[in-house]
Amino acid sequence: MAVLEVKDLATYYYLGGRELKAVDGVTFDIDQKRTLGLAGESGCGKTTTAYSIMRILAENGKIAGGSVNLGGLELTTLSDEEMRKVRWKKASIVFQYAMNAFNPVLRIGNQIVEVIREKDDVSEEEAIMTVSTLFDEVGLKPERQTDYPHEFSGGMLQRAIIAQALACDPQLIIADEPVTALDVIVQNKILDLLRKLQDKYNLAVLFITHDLSVVAENCHDVGIMYAGNLVEVGSVEAVFKRSLHPYSYKLIGAFPSVVGPKKRLEFIPGVPPNLLNFPSGCRFHPRCPFAQDICSKERPEFREIESGHYVMCHFAGELDLGGSQ
Amino acid sequence: MTSSDTILSVQNVRKWFSVRSGLLSFRKDKRYVKAVDDVSFDVPRGGSVAIAGESGCGKTTLARTILRLVEPTGGAAYYEGENIFDMNREELNALRLKMQLIFQNPFEVLDPRHTVVDLVGEGLVIHDLDVNDEVLYNNVIEALEDVRLIPGEDFATRYTHELSGGQLQRIAIARSLILNPNLIIADEPVSMLDASIRTEVMNLMTDLQKEKNLTYLFITHDLAQARYVGDYLIIMYLGRIAEMGPMEDVIQTPQHPYTKALVSNIPIPDPTIERERIMLPGETPTPIDLPPGCRFQPRCQEFGPQCKPDEPQLKEIAPGHYVACWFE
Repeated sequence: MAVLEVKDLATYYYLGGRELKAVDGVTFDIDQKRTLGLAGESGCGKTTTAYSIMRILAENGKIAGGSVNLGGLELTTLSDEEMRKVRWKKASIVFQYAMNAFNPVLRIGNQIVEVIREKDDVSEEEAIMTVSTLFDEVGLKPERQTDYPHEFSGGMLQRAIIAQALACDPQLIIADEPVTALDVIVQNKILDLLRKLQDKYNLAVLFITHDLSVVAENCHDVGIMYAGNLVEVGSVEAVFKRSLHPYSYKLIGAFPSVVGPKKRLEFIPGVPPNLLNFPSGCRFHPRCPFAQDICSKERPEFREIESGHYVMCHFAGELDLGGSQ
Repeated sequence: MTSSDTILSVQNVRKWFSVRSGLLSFRKDKRYVKAVDDVSFDVPRGGSVAIAGESGCGKTTLARTILRLVEPTGGAAYYEGENIFDMNREELNALRLKMQLIFQNPFEVLDPRHTVVDLVGEGLVIHDLDVNDEVLYNNVIEALEDVRLIPGEDFATRYTHELSGGQLQRIAIARSLILNPNLIIADEPVSMLDASIRTEVMNLMTDLQKEKNLTYLFITHDLAQARYVGDYLIIMYLGRIAEMGPMEDVIQTPQHPYTKALVSNIPIPDPTIERERIMLPGETPTPIDLPPGCRFQPRCQEFGPQCKPDEPQLKEIAPGHYVACWFE
């Protein structure tokens, strides 16, 4: 059974009297030991999706519909107090900017001890022991838990945050651009570590990134978002090699690669729509080279084209996207 | 060595920052961060040279030193045969017309209180190019249309908040182009942008190079990006050039152990390709108190006795392909 099931999730922000539909119909699930990469351009709603699952939205953000089921527990209807018990214990989140995630005037170990003692009924000594074990697990020397954040490099901080995320033995880890600020070699070390820990602790991972190259190498499944919609989801192999949505196909084609022949890359003309004022029908139609009449009139359904491969396009499976690259 | 088809020749450039080590240390043990340490290369006219490396390798400091935005510690940089490091203020001003810089973050570069016409025309006014309002406006429109903001009139009166990130970066490019430069130094010009817009701006820069006979010096941390904008690649590690050569030679057949590791770690947007990754121990140290010999040795997989005590110099192993490693 899936650890996380998100169904028709809709999250709106309220700006004055206006409704900004940041996430509007997102459906996916993640099993144990699986990683789903959620990708798309800035403003497509990937981070809002993550924040909705954790219920850490800004004050003007509300979950307007849909459900989020984590290990059998429906999160959208929990009280704030009940939700507090879910965070860290059942699901934790790793943020992008490791340097900002820790309080600079407190020792790193103490900050993790604080989390553990808040969530579990353990003595300080036990919590310190747990931190030592976790540090060892993520490749940090246990004696460095008495260091302050400025004494750590970017990669070490990211390891410490992963240790913190694991501290209360969650089932789900949401990683929001966890390696974007790091150099490639360090980046890969952190990603390898995440994978190793995922196997060991049977974690489900929701991996949020704008970089499809990182998704291709590190995720089992991928979801592509565009203007608040999840437009395509499936195994990385299916989505990258047999893209069904023109947006996914074009976006993947816009990424440069160090292997293969060097040819001029294609881009998608235009920009994503204003979230306060979506185009009618399919939100991608003004930029889509295959758009027909129906695309501007009717919103396409999110449907399964091949096993486990879902897409939101009227012509999914009928388009000749030029084969896989 | 400055032949007529070399537009910029960088020779033994050094930029050291002194580290203050405390009140009582005086001058005895003065220590330096050797951000750029003896770097030499040529930029051919009409070429596109990419400088790549990880954070802290000195690539941005190198660009800033060449432009004299920071004062060099040593070496020389010849633009069209003239040493930039010997120039006085007036000569530098004249040089900066010909040598323009594009920064990473257009949101920080462009003043939100100015309209596009003021932002793009600013260079003409600053350099006192004696243009009246009408000529200035026409030049701005032309520059906007050069960067495919068409029709230019539609964009001229806008403010930065009315434009997307990709449009802003194109305005930053138009700001440089209006001065008819020969050489553009671009420091991570597309790293802030989303994939599709990034590709759009990279393609635009490639097209402009042909249209305007420009020479580019690109600074980037992303080798995949570098591959699409440059024809020559320089890999820096801790303030020095580890390897340089024609783009495809360096990417496809890297020779320096550091380049090999770096290339093998670049993610590829294709889940079906399996590659072997070379992992380096540790993280890049700060360039203070480097070990004697090769500065890469503490992390090198191929380290041997010959790596000490002397630092390897760049050696030409194939036409135009240089490697600084004792094993070559």
